[in-house]
Amino acid sequence: MTDQTSVIQDVQRGMIPAHIYNDKEIFELEKERLFGRSWLFVAHESEVPEAGDYVVRRVLEDSFIISRDEKGEIRALFNMCLHRGMQVCRAEMGNASHFRCPYHGWSYRNDGRIVGLPFHKEAYGGEEGFKKKGQSLLPAPSLGIYNGLIFVSLDPDAEPLEDFLGDFKFYMDYYTKQSADGIELRGPQRWRVKANWKIGAENFAGDMYHTPQTHTSVVEIGLFREPKAEKRKDGTTYWAGNGGGTTYKLPEGTLEERLRYVGYPDDMIARMKEQWSQEQLDVVGKDGFMVSAASVFPNMSFVHNWPRVEEDSDEVLPFISIRQWQPISEDETEIVSWFAVDKNASEEFKALSYKAYLMCFGSGGMFEQDDVENWVSLTSTAGGPMARRLLLNSRMGMLENGQNVVEPLTADQYSGPGSTRIGYSEYNQRELLRRWADHLERPMEKAAQLHVGTDPIQSPSAGGTDPSRASTGSTAIPAAQIMSKEA
Amino acid sequence: MSLEADRNGKTLSEQSVLGGHAPRTQRTGESLPFDDALHLQAHRWLVDEAYLLDAQDYDAWMSRIAEDVHYLMPVRVTTALGAGYSTSPGMAHLDENRYSLSRRVARFATEHAWTEDPPSRLRHYVTNVRTFRTDNPDEIIVDSAVLLFRSRGDVREAATVSAGREDLLRRTGTGWELARRTIMVDESVIRMQNLAIFL
Ligand code: FES
Ligand SMILES: [Fe+2]
Repeated sequence: MTDQTSVIQDVQRGMIPAHIYNDKEIFELEKERLFGRSWLFVAHESEVPEAGDYVVRRVLEDSFIISRDEKGEIRALFNMCLHRGMQVCRAEMGNASHFRCPYHGWSYRNDGRIVGLPFHKEAYGGEEGFKKKGQSLLPAPSLGIYNGLIFVSLDPDAEPLEDFLGDFKFYMDYYTKQSADGIELRGPQRWRVKANWKIGAENFAGDMYHTPQTHTSVVEIGLFREPKAEKRKDGTTYWAGNGGGTTYKLPEGTLEERLRYVGYPDDMIARMKEQWSQEQLDVVGKDGFMVSAASVFPNMSFVHNWPRVEEDSDEVLPFISIRQWQPISEDETEIVSWFAVDKNASEEFKALSYKAYLMCFGSGGMFEQDDVENWVSLTSTAGGPMARRLLLNSRMGMLENGQNVVEPLTADQYSGPGSTRIGYSEYNQRELLRRWADHLERPMEKAAQLHVGTDPIQSPSAGGTDPSRASTGSTAIPAAQIMSKEA
Repeated sequence: MSLEADRNGKTLSEQSVLGGHAPRTQRTGESLPFDDALHLQAHRWLVDEAYLLDAQDYDAWMSRIAEDVHYLMPVRVTTALGAGYSTSPGMAHLDENRYSLSRRVARFATEHAWTEDPPSRLRHYVTNVRTFRTDNPDEIIVDSAVLLFRSRGDVREAATVSAGREDLLRRTGTGWELARRTIMVDESVIRMQNLAIFL
């Protein structure tokens, strides 16, 4: 494998070797060192509201059943049968108390525990041969939930999710905690685009600069009153914890007037005032900024916008969308895009907000259509040898000597955490890619293995490869190893 | 039988979030013989429409769309055989009325709709057409299968979308117009960069 040290160093100083957007070896490294240990969004609790509800989600090639078990607890179970490795659940959503493997009929409760193992006695000699008790579908090594958003990490020693999110939680609440009951998620829409996954994540994190050009058409058709060039550059980009995003500058007014300006009805405003901290309210009411797009490292993004959705009306309607840029390969991404809305909003608001989402974002969204066209072009252009000679300048906002073009807002000017600046810049894209480079630089430790059918707490290195010990039925012998020896 | 009904026997248009305004007319009886005049008119209407959509002649296309149209493309999901549904509850790719369709069309008419500039080469293949009467002599239901081939530039592979459609056509003074369309796309994950096309 090629030594990527110089690529990583270039990225760390804000120069982007163009081929990182379409490079097989880089992608292999991302799979191993980034997606192999980072926190990744998979689902929201509202997608599995009742006991037995489940959705099936992927973390790259790995399929996980995200279920709510009979006790109401959320589980993330690796969707691979403990017997011969068949995919246990082949639907993508539903409600089930048990999952039965179609191959030989092992069955599992919705918390992952084995309940049925046909001919356990005859085939295995019962518990002595195969320890069914305590065996469970492999859980995701780490699972964390914030505001109902379910994340998994393939790293059993991942730092706690809330530490990872850090100050970005402050901003996440605008999207996912507009009232005590939080959001409900609908969808997702899923579609594949021939674009590298990083491009979208970077764009949503901080690319206010593209809005006036890429999205001219949606202003022209009267859908949107905001993205005019002068409007966009009055907003901010912020980076906090492991995420960052963009805001729009709101017109003068009180907190209530400003929330009304983006289309929130009074009942929702009242709940926001109860729910949000003084600082969270001040970013809107005092500083005059409203969150728009954002990304959490590495591949989750948010959108908040407020288009006009009805004829002969100047009223705008806000919508929220959450998405995941699911990598398929170095030049292909599955976009997984949900519509999110506050649970306590009126049915009428929910319907119009959904309409706003469909018109702007998602598989048919008019904003999105032009974004993806650009990203697909970029990706195919990055695939050849010439792209290897090009170091793209991702230093917007910084002079050559590293000095800022615009200094961050001070605590007097801005009430939110993190580092926030008015106007166009690429600080956030750099923040995202710096974390990317740091991951790619750091080798992985070998993951622990589970030896199916043996005592789950037994050390896997208990010398069980000696077949002479197998006949003793000793619990120290990992069954999987015995089988491979006999094969 | 309608394209798909859920456990409560409701059509997809009835279940959809934004279909409250949609006409509710349903099919009656068997499909019409292929030499029935109504069927021939319906078939011709669909073929003419396919040519308009291939040419991206969206003004002409909109002139064939009813005021109260509901244009729905649900999100398909993989569910167990007994689940009783195969579309994502409360979500669609497109759930449009005439106003939102008109915005989409208006956008293509600007000089800044980059996703279709340069335009795609489009071919809508329409087949398996059958026609049903309804209780209203001026309304018919037409089922069809559509395969869209879309090619852009010279580097990317072409994309295709396969779908079944159920249309409600209504007779007006000047011909037929589309009053309701439900598009059952055949993939749970669309293999096309966006839906800047119509089916
Ligand atoms: S592979 Fe699942 S029961 Fe055999
Ligand atoms: Fe964009």
